[in-house]
Amino acid sequence: MADVVVLGAGVSGHTAALHLSRLLPSGNTITVVSPNSQWNWIPSNIWVGVGKMSKKQVVFPLAPVYKKKGVRFLQAKATAIRPVGDEESDRPGVDIEYTLPGKEGQTERIRYDYLINATGPQLKFGATPGLGPDGGNTVSVCTADHAIEASHSLKVAIERLKGGEKLTLVVGMGHGTCTCEGAAFEYVFNVDHELREAGVRDNARLVYLTNEAQLGDFGVDGMVFEERGFQTTSELWTGSLFRERGVEAILGAHVSRVEPGVVHYETLDGNHHTLEFDFGMLLPPFGGVALKAFDREGGEITDQLFAPSGFMKVDADYTPKPYEEWTAADWPKTYQAVGYDNIWAVGIAFAPPHQISRPRKSANGTVIAPSPPRTGMPSGVMGKTAAMSIADRIKKGPSAKNHDASMAAMGAACVASVGQGLTTGSAAAMTMLPVVPDYQKFPTGRDLADTRGEVGLAGHWVKLMLHYLFIYKAKALPLWQLIPE
Amino acid sequence: MADLSRAPLPTEATLRRRQSLVRQFFRFIAYDLRIMRMVLKGHSQDH
Repeated sequence: MADVVVLGAGVSGHTAALHLSRLLPSGNTITVVSPNSQWNWIPSNIWVGVGKMSKKQVVFPLAPVYKKKGVRFLQAKATAIRPVGDEESDRPGVDIEYTLPGKEGQTERIRYDYLINATGPQLKFGATPGLGPDGGNTVSVCTADHAIEASHSLKVAIERLKGGEKLTLVVGMGHGTCTCEGAAFEYVFNVDHELREAGVRDNARLVYLTNEAQLGDFGVDGMVFEERGFQTTSELWTGSLFRERGVEAILGAHVSRVEPGVVHYETLDGNHHTLEFDFGMLLPPFGGVALKAFDREGGEITDQLFAPSGFMKVDADYTPKPYEEWTAADWPKTYQAVGYDNIWAVGIAFAPPHQISRPRKSANGTVIAPSPPRTGMPSGVMGKTAAMSIADRIKKGPSAKNHDASMAAMGAACVASVGQGLTTGSAAAMTMLPVVPDYQKFPTGRDLADTRGEVGLAGHWVKLMLHYLFIYKAKALPLWQLIPE
Repeated sequence: MADLSRAPLPTEATLRRRQSLVRQFFRFIAYDLRIMRMVLKGHSQDH
C-alpha cells in the first residue's frame, strides 16, 4: 500500500489526482495539497476579463470532487520537500502550511511514497516594478479574481470612451521573459471586440506589446502552415488579423517598469521607449513556486532538485548549448525528478531545458526571450502520464517502466475566441504538432497535416465546447475519463 | 511599432465564409477531428 501526494490542483495536478483515483487499487491513499479551494478553468478567464462570463462559470470547489473520488484534500501550500526523510523517519515528507480558513498558518509534515509536483507558476509581478494588480498599475487575467478586476477596469475605460475621450489601451507581456503570449493575443482581440460592440472603437488606440520578436511566435518560434498549396507562416497569418482589426503591435519588447499611465520598455535594438496608456493588461513572467528541499539532517539541497528559476529538474538534457544545437530529444519524456525515482514534476512545475522560441538579447544585453508555454493540453497529458507511471509502479512493482509524454511528440491547440453566442462569435484557432519542433522529423519542425491556423465561427464553437467539456471532466462527472486531456 | 501595412487583408468573401453557419459547421467537425487525431498521435506515446 502506498501514499501518493500531489502538490497543486491546477490542470496538471488535478488531472493526475483524478486518474490516480481511478487507477489505484483501494488501500492506497491519494492526498492533494493546494492552497486554493477552487479549481479554475484558466483559459476562460479571458472571457471573465471582458465581462462575458462570471467567476462562477469558470471555477468550482475542489473538496466535494475529491470527497466523491476518495481523495484526501488539504487546503495548504507546500513549503519544503524532504525526499530522503528526516531525523524522525526514513519516509520522504513534504512540509505544508495550511491556508484553509480557521487553520491558516498551521504547519504539518506529511509522508509520501510517491510525489507529483504540479505546483504551477508563481506569478512574478515583482520582476517588473509597477506591474500587476496588487499595488501595481496594470491588470491581469491570470486568476479569476484578477480577471474580474480587469473587466471592471475595462468597463471604466469604455465609459470614458463613450464620453468622447481618446484613450490608449495596451495588452501584452509585462517582461522580456514572459510566456503565454496566446492568452494576451486572445485578450487583445476580446478587448477589440468589446470596443466595437460598445461603438467606441474609433476613439481607442489598441496596442499589443510583446516580447515576441515576430507576430505569431507565441513562444513556440512560430509555425509554418500549409494553405492552398503554399507554405505560409503564423507571422503572416497573425499580421493579417492585427491589420484587419486595427490593432498596433510593438515587438521584441522588455517592459522595465510601469508607472501610473506609462509603460517603460526596451526593444531588441537597445532603444528605450515609453507608451502612455489608460488601460493596461500585462501578463507577468512565471517562476517556480518557492519550495525548498532538505536532506535527512536538515541540510538544504534545493539546488539539487530545482533550477535557479524555481522549476524542478527532470529527465531533460540541461546541458547549456547554442540554439543551433537544440534538439527535440533535449525535452523530458517521463518528468521524473533528477536523482529521485519517486518524484515527478509536471505542467509548469518542471524546468524546461531551454526556450522553444529563439532567445534574443537587446543591444544592451537585456534578455528578451519568450519562455516555453506548457499549459493546457500538454499539462493535462503530463499529469495523466505521471499518474499512470505511479499506478504501474504500485501495481507491478519497482521495475515497471515509466510512461512517456514528450512535448516534442505531443500536440496542442490554442483557440483565441471573441464574442458570445453561437452565431456572433469568432476565433483564431491554431493546432500544432508537436509543440516543440522536431526538425529531424519534419522539415518545418512540425507535422503540416496537424499544424494549422484558421479564423471563423467554428473556432469559437470549439472554445465553448472545450470550456464545458473540461469543466465537466474536472468535476469527475460520469465518464469523465473518456474526455481526452 | 510593427509595420503591418503589407499584411494580407481578407476579402469580403473570406469574411463571409468565416461567419457562414453551414461552412463553419464543417470546419468545426474538421477541427475536432484534427484534435482527436493529435490526441491519438501525440498524447498516447506509449499508452
